Amino acid sequence: MNTGITNKSFIFNEKINVQCINDLYGNDYIYLEEVFGTVLNEYGTLIENIFEQYDSHNIPALKAAVHKIKPIFGFVGLISMQHQCQQFEDNCQPSSPFDMLVNNYNALKNNLISSKSIIEEEKGKLELFNSQ
Amino acid sequence: MKISCIIVEDLQVAANYLMKCCEKSGQVESKGHFVNVPDALHFLNENTVDLIFLDVEMPGASGFELLDQIAFSPKVILTTSKKDYAYNAFQYNVSDYLMKPFTYQRFLESLQKIKPSQETISTRSGSDHIYIKADGKLVRLNNDSILYIESMGDYVKFVTSDNKKYITHNTIKNLEEKVSKQHFLKVHRSFIVNLHKIDDMRENILFIKGNEIPVSKANKADVFKRLNIV
Repeated sequence: MNTGITNKSFIFNEKINVQCINDLYGNDYIYLEEVFGTVLNEYGTLIENIFEQYDSHNIPALKAAVHKIKPIFGFVGLISMQHQCQQFEDNCQPSSPFDMLVNNYNALKNNLISSKSIIEEEKGKLELFNSQ
Repeated sequence: MKISCIIVEDLQVAANYLMKCCEKSGQVESKGHFVNVPDALHFLNENTVDLIFLDVEMPGASGFELLDQIAFSPKVILTTSKKDYAYNAFQYNVSDYLMKPFTYQRFLESLQKIKPSQETISTRSGSDHIYIKADGKLVRLNNDSILYIESMGDYVKFVTSDNKKYITHNTIKNLEEKVSKQHFLKVHRSFIVNLHKIDDMRENILFIKGNEIPVSKANKADVFKRLNIV
């Protein structure tokens, strides 16, 4: 989507895969700002759903909730989060005891919360960048 | 001619990205975005499209349940973040599988996979027949057997001398360039007629085997030029 700004460079958070961002959006930072905004709009609902399903010990629903949020991280270049979601999904087997998920879930939850902060920060930086 | 599509996707960022890809390609026109199967089904009960970009896992019902319930067979490109649907994809004759997020280049490759079957008419210059794609097969129609062709929105109807009707995805504008100029003439934005089949003409109406075909003011002069008036 190479229709945006071309002569400026943007410094992304180190956790964001720049190659992935370039592959998807080229240097269209205006659209990228829109993408980060859209992701933030739906992020809250998606993680709340994960927390609720975990609290209700519903493994298939928890797996589906994690599956649903997973591609969002690809759209904002947080590839490691995408992989972590996939791994958690793989661990969500209905036959496995719920206790087995606790450690992985806690790690995932922490990263889900910190990822939101990263996306918010990048959205703010992009707004500033695009307004200059 | 653009490919008409709908997007069935409950993730807003993914739906927006798909719409952007469609717009950028200039090849695909989105007729709507639906976040669940019932809304998409409601639309498809009253409208047809060439292509559905379909997410699989959505709240309430899966994308495959939508395919079970629609009355026609559009092309389908799955947009998913799971690789586990190969068997279903094969069963439902899905054209391609886009893993979210995908690049614009990958999107274009996907469009290429559905394009060959979008070509619904095959002709050769000077040929005495055409082939149209109708009812899931290629049907040969001799030029002499076609009475007229009528527009039906994104589709056209071929009416033949044995009173058969064939509906295929195409437009009058596209066909005007493809059918034999020796036999056929566009007489109205919604009609192409076989000049050899005209019985008579009254005012702005052509009569062909009992069918009344309107002639537009813009095309009337061309009609007179082509009729063998003595």
